[in-house]
Amino acid sequence: MILFLKIALRNITRNKFRSSITIAAIAIGLASLVFIRAFVDGSHYQMIKNYTEFISGQIQIHDQGFQENMGLNKNIPNPQEIVSLIQMPQIKGKAFRVKEYVLASSAEHSLGVLLMGVDPQNEPKITELDKRVRYGKFLSNDKEIVVGKILAKSLNVGLQDKVVIMAQAFDGSLASEAYRVSGFLDTGVEELDKGLALITLKASQDLFVLNNRISEIALSTESIEHADRIAAMIKQKVTNSKLEVLSWKEISPALMQWVEFDVTFINIILFIVLLVVAAGILNTLLMGILERTHEFGIMISLGTTRSQIIQMVTLESIILGFIGVCLGFAFGIAGSLYFGAKGINLQAFSTALNNYYTGSIIYPRLSTGYLIQYGLIVLLTSVIVSIYPAWRAANLKPVEAIRHG
Amino acid sequence: MNLIEIQDLKKTYVEKTGVKTEALRGVSLSIEERAFIAIAGPSGSGKSTLLNLIGTLDTPDSGKILFEGKEITAIPPAFNALFRLHKIGFVFQSYNLFNQLTAQENVEYVMLLQGIPSKTRQERSRKLLNSVGLENTARKRPNQLSGGQQQRVAVLRAIAANPKIVLADEPTANLDSETASGLIDLMRSINQEYGITFIFSTHDKLVMNKADKIHLLKDGKIV
Repeated sequence: MILFLKIALRNITRNKFRSSITIAAIAIGLASLVFIRAFVDGSHYQMIKNYTEFISGQIQIHDQGFQENMGLNKNIPNPQEIVSLIQMPQIKGKAFRVKEYVLASSAEHSLGVLLMGVDPQNEPKITELDKRVRYGKFLSNDKEIVVGKILAKSLNVGLQDKVVIMAQAFDGSLASEAYRVSGFLDTGVEELDKGLALITLKASQDLFVLNNRISEIALSTESIEHADRIAAMIKQKVTNSKLEVLSWKEISPALMQWVEFDVTFINIILFIVLLVVAAGILNTLLMGILERTHEFGIMISLGTTRSQIIQMVTLESIILGFIGVCLGFAFGIAGSLYFGAKGINLQAFSTALNNYYTGSIIYPRLSTGYLIQYGLIVLLTSVIVSIYPAWRAANLKPVEAIRHG
Repeated sequence: MNLIEIQDLKKTYVEKTGVKTEALRGVSLSIEERAFIAIAGPSGSGKSTLLNLIGTLDTPDSGKILFEGKEITAIPPAFNALFRLHKIGFVFQSYNLFNQLTAQENVEYVMLLQGIPSKTRQERSRKLLNSVGLENTARKRPNQLSGGQQQRVAVLRAIAANPKIVLADEPTANLDSETASGLIDLMRSINQEYGITFIFSTHDKLVMNKADKIHLLKDGKIV
């Protein structure tokens, strides 16, 4: 075996240029794959993190049907009881919210917006809405309102201007109240900056005559990755109440579909990379076998069996694949770590990226799971692709092969 | 008992253009164990074809070859390699050493295929190289050796695994007469020392005269 390994190694170094091209094809293919996957994972992570931190939270608890058809009649009348049911160390923050579509009017214009009543003390444990107030300040009393910056422009209101909110209250009466603008929300996400207004939880409960009722409990956990598992645990704890417990994937199926689409796209790239790798190795091995037909003829004459010839050719392919995979990992990981720390500035596409909650600087994120998976797939491809050239070499007719070259 | 019995061996090559060439036209021959035989004849007389058929590198159209009483022309192709590995050594006209391996590793190659342990392989190959004065070339690659040295290494590779017979197809064709004579002497000494049968093809009179017996082939027939 060692002599076969030696022969395989020396064959690789015999035509350094051709072997280098094959190794480079494998390395560049794998490095691109690792980097693209890290880039996409980084952008997904940011997208999900931003989405959950901008507005949704990682987990939401509602009255059954609220997600599908939002309204004041679908509410949680006893939020404190629910909170006491779901005391778990994994839950980092809890905040109560009221949500309703309302008519917001200034002296000049009226627009339909989503009004959220939030608890100014607890909401920062769930989202970064308070940090996204770029002009003015976040809510500090029940008479204040924070509006999206585009909404403010549409209503033509400035700081301390009055905005009147009108809607139907929970008891059927007309809810109407005026608030002073304390700040403008600037998330970079058009749908939020254009259609969201915030008042305090207490102010919203008073406005809609909800007493202690709320629309939802938003929760945050240690990490987004744990949200699904913790949502499932909460579901078990509140199984008897008529509540829906949703993780971010269920809160925004569109976001989840986008992530899944991207992963499919990556798999297509993986397939293309594998084709390039396969073509590179196949070319090298077939050329090598053509060049060494005479040598294989001698080997077969001396009693080398078919399986030993196959072993030898496959061994060459494994060595080429292994070197390529090591180099591919080195470049792919180094690139991903470098840009993971520095970030990739895509300011030119900031509007589009912000609308997808990604942010304009992407930080690639590496994950060991797919690194091993990709490395094995590329290595396996290099072995599979060597079977045909190896079979051809093993089945050469010795007399014809010896005459060759 | 004869080591090899060849009975009415025929082989015709058909080219892609349809042109037929009768390489062997009913060759019958007996070769004794420990013999040192020359197959002589002009180019195209069928010498290489005969050696290839004895070495199971090719199959005859008709006729039989018995090796130690067993018909080797009936061995399934999958087992041919094993037969060659254990019974036959080859020496080729253009040496055909493996350029990736050193002289010593070339000598070890067939022993490696036989599964002989590394230590034994190395000891035997060193001993053989020493016996022909090539001890200083053990670590050299074939392209660092002269033609005569390469052919001596090729002979050592052929006998290293103790075959019953060595088939040498024009082993001296690429060598000058002095080196050629030296190589035949080496083959003769191996034949006598180890009892290995040698069949070599040649059209060089000086070389063929060193054989115990000369079989002359002409137009595919023994004359």
